Amino acid sequence: MSRLKSQSTALTDDPLNDICPVCKSNRYLNPTLQFLINPECYHKMCSTCVDRIFTSGPASCPVVGCGKTLRKKGFHKAFFADLKIERECDIRKRVGAVFNRREDEFESLSSWNDYLEMVEGLIFDLVEGTMKEKAKAEETLRAHRAANAKEIEDNKRAGLEAKDVELQREREEKEAVRQRRLAILREQEEDKLDVEKERREMLERLARGDGDANAITKHAQKVILKKSSARRNLAESNFADTANGSAPSNLSIRGLKKKVAPKAELAYDPFGGLDLKPARYTLQSSYENEWLDNAKNNTLHMAGGYSMNEYYSRTMFEAFSGLGIFIGDQVVEKSLPAAPATIGTVGAAEAAGGRLRQEMNTDDVF
Amino acid sequence: MKFNIGDLPVLFPYPRIYPEQYDYMCDLKKTLDAGGHCVLEMPSGTGKTVSLLSLIVAYQQYYPEHRKLIYCSRTMSEIEKALAELKALMKYRADQLGYVEEFRGMGLTSRKNLCLHPSVKREKSGAVVDARCRSLTAGFVKEKKDRGEDVNNLDLLEPHNLIPNGVWTLDGIMKYGEEHKQCPYFTSRRMMTFCNVIIYSYHYLLDPKIAERVSKELSNDCIVVFDEAHNIDNVCIESLSTDITEESLRRATRGAQNLETKISDMKDSDADKLRAEYDSLVAGLRGAQEDRDEDAFMANPALPDDLLKEAIPGNIRRAEHFVAFLKRFIEYLKTRMKVRQVISETPPSFLAHLREYTHIEKKPLRFCAERLTSLVRTLELTNIEDYQPLQEVATFATLVATYEKGFLLILEPYETETAEVPNPVLHFTCLDAAIAMKPVFDRFSTVIITSGTISPLEMYPKMLNFETVVQESYPMTLARRSFLPMIVTRGSDQVAISSGFQVRNEPSVVRNYGNLLTEFSKLTPDGMVVFFPSYLYMESIISMWQGMGILDEVWKYKLILVETPDAQETSLALETYRTACCNGRGAILLCVARGKVSEGIDFDHQYGRTVLCIGVPFQYTESRILKARLEFLRETYRIKENDFLSFDAMRHAAQCLGRVLRGKDDYGIMVLADKRFLRKRTQLPKWINEAILDAEVDLSTDMAVGTAKKFLRTMAQPFPSLDQDGVSTWRIEDLEAHKEKMENESIRQLRAEMEGIENGGGKEVVQNGNGKEEAQHMGDDAFDDAEAEAEMMKLDH
Ligand code: SF4
Ligand SMILES: [Zn+2]
Ligand SMILES: [Zn+2]
Repeated sequence: MSRLKSQSTALTDDPLNDICPVCKSNRYLNPTLQFLINPECYHKMCSTCVDRIFTSGPASCPVVGCGKTLRKKGFHKAFFADLKIERECDIRKRVGAVFNRREDEFESLSSWNDYLEMVEGLIFDLVEGTMKEKAKAEETLRAHRAANAKEIEDNKRAGLEAKDVELQREREEKEAVRQRRLAILREQEEDKLDVEKERREMLERLARGDGDANAITKHAQKVILKKSSARRNLAESNFADTANGSAPSNLSIRGLKKKVAPKAELAYDPFGGLDLKPARYTLQSSYENEWLDNAKNNTLHMAGGYSMNEYYSRTMFEAFSGLGIFIGDQVVEKSLPAAPATIGTVGAAEAAGGRLRQEMNTDDVF
Repeated sequence: MKFNIGDLPVLFPYPRIYPEQYDYMCDLKKTLDAGGHCVLEMPSGTGKTVSLLSLIVAYQQYYPEHRKLIYCSRTMSEIEKALAELKALMKYRADQLGYVEEFRGMGLTSRKNLCLHPSVKREKSGAVVDARCRSLTAGFVKEKKDRGEDVNNLDLLEPHNLIPNGVWTLDGIMKYGEEHKQCPYFTSRRMMTFCNVIIYSYHYLLDPKIAERVSKELSNDCIVVFDEAHNIDNVCIESLSTDITEESLRRATRGAQNLETKISDMKDSDADKLRAEYDSLVAGLRGAQEDRDEDAFMANPALPDDLLKEAIPGNIRRAEHFVAFLKRFIEYLKTRMKVRQVISETPPSFLAHLREYTHIEKKPLRFCAERLTSLVRTLELTNIEDYQPLQEVATFATLVATYEKGFLLILEPYETETAEVPNPVLHFTCLDAAIAMKPVFDRFSTVIITSGTISPLEMYPKMLNFETVVQESYPMTLARRSFLPMIVTRGSDQVAISSGFQVRNEPSVVRNYGNLLTEFSKLTPDGMVVFFPSYLYMESIISMWQGMGILDEVWKYKLILVETPDAQETSLALETYRTACCNGRGAILLCVARGKVSEGIDFDHQYGRTVLCIGVPFQYTESRILKARLEFLRETYRIKENDFLSFDAMRHAAQCLGRVLRGKDDYGIMVLADKRFLRKRTQLPKWINEAILDAEVDLSTDMAVGTAKKFLRTMAQPFPSLDQDGVSTWRIEDLEAHKEKMENESIRQLRAEMEGIENGGGKEVVQNGNGKEEAQHMGDDAFDDAEAEAEMMKLDH
């Protein structure tokens, strides 16, 4: 709401927006006229009327034929000029708090779409339906809320979390933009100093008078050029690095992935489902091998707790380990860095807003 | 003239060819062979179009793939010129070959220019013509109505044989249409797939709304040419940007209300139709016409490909739900427009705010445009122009939900800083020219970007984000110095002149500019064109000159005419200007470097002997959109603000300069009057920059006048065209000789390289060998010294 605070007090072209339907005071006489509504009945009136009528406690709506009991607490400024839309959005808010499933809870896109349509239909009934339809829709809403209380809670939390993540990302982007800008400023500063220095040196050399004056100037210019282009290249490579480094891990969810409906939870598995049974061989209880016979039959060996089976399994494992593994497959593809265009766009927003910018002296830049 | 480039036989419809044309064709062929994109800068007036066409036509006729040519140009007159060239070329080919080739070439332009319908064609605005035609030709109308006065009877003919082979100019096709009672517009549109060469405007490829409809059937190996492409980045950006005003929102609301009544009408009368639409949306089917040709479908920049295949979201599937959705969105925009401070935000933050207040999610928003089209089709609406604003809002919705990056929303409540009455505009502006260009580069293997002034060449690949195989700028070979570019930095009193903000209104500077104008108006024969950076500056300086009596002085020598933002007034001024140039009175045209005159109008021969560029034509830098774009360019493409601004200014300056020189037999003086041009000289196109002698870069007014007088005196000498032969124009023998020389040269190079490998630094010596020696080497070939020298000039660069 904060960005809308500065709503104009100028006259709008719609005369209805300028006269309080209750006390008939208008904007010509009272330029600070402000309209409030109460979501009980969405009748609008000026703030003075609200103060006058409802300060002493709940009263009935002064609009003819309404008579709903209103409280002062319920009044607020309308966001939309069209109060029908205002009401619709309030209803949406209410319904949205109950029907707050997310797409990934659905098995397929079409069932998600069906769900969306169902909710939309419900809202539509609430907004425009006849009395009966409204009552029915309300009933559905109540029933659903009662039946799915826990899931609704969960989804609400998930929604809030997603919002947090989003906010976090936004903050990070802003910060990246700021850092980038600082870096660029610094770079320009250095550039300038360098050129300055070079020039001074050139002058000194000229003053000393060794060598051909023309050659010195030419040489100096070339040096300056080379340096600045080298720095630019360097900066460019740095830029690429920072773009990789500072890019927040890719959080923008495209929201198109289809997920399977949640499975029943399994018992805890410390190996996370990793199967340790050998796949390429079966371990036998004993292997025929003459140089093992000695150990097998010698009680002296076994007395200390030496287990032939341990030995077998280890040897077999070592013999087979690494088979069927190809390095090429194992190399995880490096995830591409998030395109810096995001940052460019955010930065552009600030530039256009005129905030955070140093004075841009572009006409006479050279 | 007939010659070979590599193995490719080329027929060139003139008996002589310019050396740079030959080079240009060689590079084109290289690009086509390699299969990649290229950027080529060819001096203006050296027959770029004809070289391009003759090479590509030869290429497509010679090789079995018969790759199609899509030639995009900017204005109608350029399209017509190209068609005429193509026609002449094909005629020449037929004469030479002795038979007429299987070939069809065609231009496409808007309905407004091609309509034959007795009443529709009289409409003034193109949008209305489109809308009225659509209401006459939409599928459901045809089904219902028997064909009455409408001349469109296309369905009676085979779709691939609407028009016989040959090259069809716009006039030609109009005539054919009239004779055969068939609509020229639809003829050319449907025949596009069966053409070898298509010539049309940029928009048919770049604007997503049009490209989808018009250009999707073109195959991927087409050769795409963007001619006069120095402004292509702006075209790209404009095609994806929209402005929304309070008025357009009001009209959109009205449109939505109309839709609502139409829907309830239809529910009563023909509920089946709505249900059928609904069913097909549930099934995720697109309209039949859309998925007719799946592979050739151009990735619509408005929607990524994967999304196109997805079904419409459930909450806007029903017609009434969708209309409510639209209304909510429009109401939201209206509320936002009430804010009285400048706001700029990125699409994600806009979407977040939108969701908070209206519970509109991103996804249905994305499908908005498509859903609206489907609804309009189902409702069989015919007066489509009434829904234009609604359509705009829907397009805006789709774009804002699709692109997170490279776009920006800027809300400007007041038109100017000082305005009291709010007139809010919501700019949805594209910052990244590459977005509109990307589908073109992705889809077509060869894209050629060319213009007379497209320097610095590396800027374009950077800005449009593509890679080139060839990047070339050609110098202009001249038998004599036929144009004189100069940089004037100070007046006769040695005070520096500049249009920089700090000094632009200082009387001494204004007076010096005035003197410059007076002096040149005295010495220039016939026409003279003067360019100012902006209308504002032009106005203020003219009024100051008036006070100083400068205009009275100029008036003695020339008629003074001024360009205004009004197109009609300007064309009247131009006409008067032309008459005055022809009858010997002489005239001065004062115009603006970014106006219509600087872009589309040629001042050849007597129409322009001097062009005077007063000040560097920088953009208006206080514009928020420009600021945003600069920031984006810097962050994303590493193009510095100043680099871009100066590049942009210089490309406009170069455009202005190029106006006076439209051929090799033409001559003219080009004056750049600003001290800042000194530094920016290297950003001029190569052919201009090379022609500026070192002695002519830092002149005062009187020095410039002296030089110009001398120049005009040499120009007055008779100059038989024979003198040009072998130097700036080649006959076939010269061409053969050149080819042989090039071969020898490459052999020599190879040999030198071999030697170089044998004995170290030898290579360098050979390459830097001095010109005289080489000229002597060539002596036994059929070359005169002058040409050898011209050749050497090229090699040196
Ligand atoms: S079909 Fe052709 S002739 Fe008929 S109205 Fe449309 S553009 Fe005009
Ligand atoms: Zn009141
Ligand atoms: Zn009430």
